[in-house]
Amino acid sequence: MAIKPQTPSGVVPASETVLMVRGVTKRFPGVVALDKVNFDLLRGEVHALLGENGAGKSTLVKILYGIYSPDEGEIYVNGRKVTISSPSDALRNGLALVSQSPQLIDRLTVAENIILGLGKYGLISRVGMVKDFIIKASEDVGIKVDPDVEVWKLSYTQKQLVEILRAIILGAKVLMLDEAITFLPIREKRRFYKFLRKFADAGGSVILITHKIKEALDVADRITVLRLGKVVGTVKKEEVTIDDVRRMMFAERASQITYQRLPPSQPREEIALEVEKLWVKGDHGVFAVKGVNLKLRAGEVLGIAGIVGNGQKELVQAIMGLRKCVRGRIRIYGRDVTNVPTAKIRELGVGYIPDLPIRYGLSPDNNIEENIAMLPVIAKGIISWGRVRRLARELIEEFKIVTPSTKTPIKLLSGGNLMKVLVSRELMIATKLLIAYNPTRALDEATAILVRRIIKEKARSEGVAVLAVSEDLDEIFQISDTIAVMNSGRIVGVFPGDKADRDEVEKLMVM
Amino acid sequence: MVKVVVIRRVKPLPLGSVLIPAASIIIGILLSALILYVLAGTSPVLLFINVGRGFVSIETLRDFLMLTMLGAALVIAFSGAVWNIGEEGQITFGMIGAGYIALFTALSASPAAAKVAMIVLALILGGIWGLLAGALKAYVGIDEVASTLIMNYIAYYFLDYLVRGPWMGKHTYGYIRTDLIPATTQFTPIPVPGATITYEDIVLTVIVLAFSFFLLWKTALGVRIKVLGSNPDALRAAGVNVPMLITIALGISGALAGIVGAAQLAGYLHRISYPIESHTANLGYTAILVAWLAMLDLRAIPIAAYIIGSLDQAGRLLQTAGLGGIAVTNLFIGTTLLTFTVLRVFSEYSIRIIR
Repeated sequence: MAIKPQTPSGVVPASETVLMVRGVTKRFPGVVALDKVNFDLLRGEVHALLGENGAGKSTLVKILYGIYSPDEGEIYVNGRKVTISSPSDALRNGLALVSQSPQLIDRLTVAENIILGLGKYGLISRVGMVKDFIIKASEDVGIKVDPDVEVWKLSYTQKQLVEILRAIILGAKVLMLDEAITFLPIREKRRFYKFLRKFADAGGSVILITHKIKEALDVADRITVLRLGKVVGTVKKEEVTIDDVRRMMFAERASQITYQRLPPSQPREEIALEVEKLWVKGDHGVFAVKGVNLKLRAGEVLGIAGIVGNGQKELVQAIMGLRKCVRGRIRIYGRDVTNVPTAKIRELGVGYIPDLPIRYGLSPDNNIEENIAMLPVIAKGIISWGRVRRLARELIEEFKIVTPSTKTPIKLLSGGNLMKVLVSRELMIATKLLIAYNPTRALDEATAILVRRIIKEKARSEGVAVLAVSEDLDEIFQISDTIAVMNSGRIVGVFPGDKADRDEVEKLMVM
Repeated sequence: MVKVVVIRRVKPLPLGSVLIPAASIIIGILLSALILYVLAGTSPVLLFINVGRGFVSIETLRDFLMLTMLGAALVIAFSGAVWNIGEEGQITFGMIGAGYIALFTALSASPAAAKVAMIVLALILGGIWGLLAGALKAYVGIDEVASTLIMNYIAYYFLDYLVRGPWMGKHTYGYIRTDLIPATTQFTPIPVPGATITYEDIVLTVIVLAFSFFLLWKTALGVRIKVLGSNPDALRAAGVNVPMLITIALGISGALAGIVGAAQLAGYLHRISYPIESHTANLGYTAILVAWLAMLDLRAIPIAAYIIGSLDQAGRLLQTAGLGGIAVTNLFIGTTLLTFTVLRVFSEYSIRIIR
C-alpha cells in the first residue's frame, strides 16, 4: 500500500492547492475529535474523506464551514490564511457544505430558496437567471426540479439537488458533501456522482464524505482516511485497492469485513410473522402495498430487496401498527395484530428500525439514557437510572458509539453514531421479531457487518425472526435465509437465500 | 414581491441561556422606567428604589411560593410542548374544590382532615380541568392554547355564578361574596410580622417542587413527556400512547395548579369575593413568564419565581407610594417578557429579506 507522505507544516503549497488545513485540533468534552489534522484539496479533484463513524470527518467539514471553530491550527484558502467563524465566512471563501438533512425553507419556492442571501455575497440576482440555471442543471443531472414549485412538494433527492445547486450558485469553488447523497436511491446517486465529476472538471473541488468505500474509489481522485481524529494517510485512487483503504480505516478490524454469506440460521416450525393479502395506502392516498403475502418463521431472516419507494416503507409501518391496513391481516406469533396500537406490538418483543431513523427512531434533544428509557418495554413507572445507564454503557461498548458521555444530547453525535444508538437499542429489545428498514445505512463498513452478524446470531441462537428491508443487495445476500423482491407494492419473487441469483433479483427490482 | 423570512441560525448565540433572562429583566425594568417617565413623569429614581424594595420585601414571599408551584406545574406541560395557558382556570377550580369542603361539609370540625380534603379536591378538580383541555387536544385536535385560555373564562364565570348564587354568604353586609371559611380550615400563618405566608404554603411548595423533579427526572412518564416536546413521532414508533400522554401531562399540570387554588383560599383570601377574576391575582398568567425565564429548567424555577414575585411586589409598593397602580406590575412583566421574546428570537434566528 502506498501512502503519500503528508506535506509538512509550513511548506508553501503548489498553486493548484485550493484548500490547505494545517494542524487543526478540535476537542469536545471527553473526546479529541480532531488531532493535528493536515489536509490538502487540489483544484479539479474529487477528494473522498473516509473513516469509521465518529472518526472526525464531519467535525472537519463543520470547521471548514464555520459551524465549529478549531482549538488549534490554520486554514489556508488559495494560499491565504483565513479565519472561518461562520457559514458566511466560509461562503465568502468559496466553501459550501451540504449535509444529510436539507436546510431549505419549505414554504418558499426552489428559486426563492436559492436567491435567499445571494445579495449578501455580492451577486446580482434576477429570478429569471436563477430559474434558467436550475432548469439547465437539473437537465444535466437528470433529476427534474421545477424552480417555481414550493420546496415542501419536493422529494428528498430533489431537495438535495437544490442544496447542491444553491451552493454552486453562491459561487462555491469547494463543495463539501457530508453524507449528502448517502440516503439517495442508487440510480440517482450515480447521476449525482457524474454531476460532481463535471463540477470538478470545470475547476471546482469536492470533498466527499461517505461510508461506502467502493463508491469513493469509483468517483474520487484521492482519498484521505481519518481514524480517531487523526489522519491515517492520503492516497491516490490508482495506487490502492479496496482492502488497502479498509486497513487504513479500520486497522485490525478490517479483517472482519467480508461480504460472504453469513452462516444460515435454522428456521423453526413456529410462524413468527404472517402477512396475508395486505393492502396499505401510501401518503398520497394511493395503494402502496398491493396484496402482499409473507410468511416468516422464528429464527429466519427474510430479506426484502427492492428500490426505495416500492411499498417497503408502508409495509413495515403497517406491520408496526403505524399505518392503517385497509385490507388483509397481520399475525405475529399467531396473534392477530392488524390495526392494533404499536404499544401492543412492541410488547410482543418486537424491535423496529424505521425508515427516516432519526425522525421516527430517536429523540435528538435527549441523551442516550433517555432515548433508551423512553421505550415502554424498557421502563415503566419509576426508572432505575442505574440499570438504564448500564444498558447504555453496554451499547456504547459493543457498538463503539463515540460520545462524550451517556448524558450528552444525541444530536451532538455524528450521523453514524446516531444510527448506532438506534440500531443497538432495537437489537437489544428485539426478543421475538425484528423489523428493520435499511438497518445498516449510515454505518461504516465494519459496524455494518457487526450489525449483520448480530442480527444473524440473534436469529440462530435466540430464534428471533427478522424482516430486513434493504436496497443494498450486498446486505440482502449476506444475511437472508429467504429473499423476497418487492416491486410496485407487490412481492414479485421469492428465493431461498443460498440459491438466489443476483442478476435475477436485480432484474425483478427494476422490472 | 418582497418576502421576509426567518431562518434558524446554524449556531445559536453563545451563553444565551444565562445572558438572555438576565438581560431581559434589566432591559425590561429600564424600558418600564422610560415609559413611566415619558407618560406619567414618574421619577426613575423613586421607581428604582421601589423595585429594590420589592426584592427585599417580606410580602414577596407569598408570590414567590405560589409562582414556584405554578411555574413547576407549567414546566411539566411545557416540557412536552403542551402549552397550558389555563392555570387561571385550574386555580379557580382548585379554589372551588377547597371552598366546597371548607364551607359546606362537616369536615371543618377536624382541621387536619379538612385541610387535606381541601387540597385533594382542589387537586382533583384542577386536574380534571387540565385533563379536559388535554383530551380535546389529543383526541379532537383542538389547539390547547385556545382551549385552555377559553376555559379560564368558563371557570371564572362558573365561580361567579356560585358566589352570586348558591354560595352567597349569610353575613356579607351587602357584598357579593361567600362567608369566611371556618377558622379550622384556614392555614396557619408563620409568626413573622408582615409575612403573608403559612406553614402549609411552605410545605405544599416543597412537595410540589419535589414531585415535579421526581416526575420529570425519575419516572418513565417524565422521560416520555420530555421526548414528547422534542419528537412525538419517535414516541409513536416506540409504542407510547401519545394522545394519552398529552392528556396526562396537561392533567398533572392542572392538578398542581389546582393546589394553588386551595392555598390561596385557605392561606390568604379566606373567602371568595366578587369580582372573581381578582382571586387569582393573575398568578396563572404571571407563572408563564416564570417558566420561560427559567428556560423550562425546574432548578431555575424558584429563582425566576423570586424575581417575578419581587417585580409583582414592587408594583404594589409603587401603588402604595402613589406612583401608579397594579398596572405598573403588568408593565414590568410585559416589558420583560417582550424583551425576552425578542432576544430569544435574535439568538436563535436571523431575519432576511428577499426581493
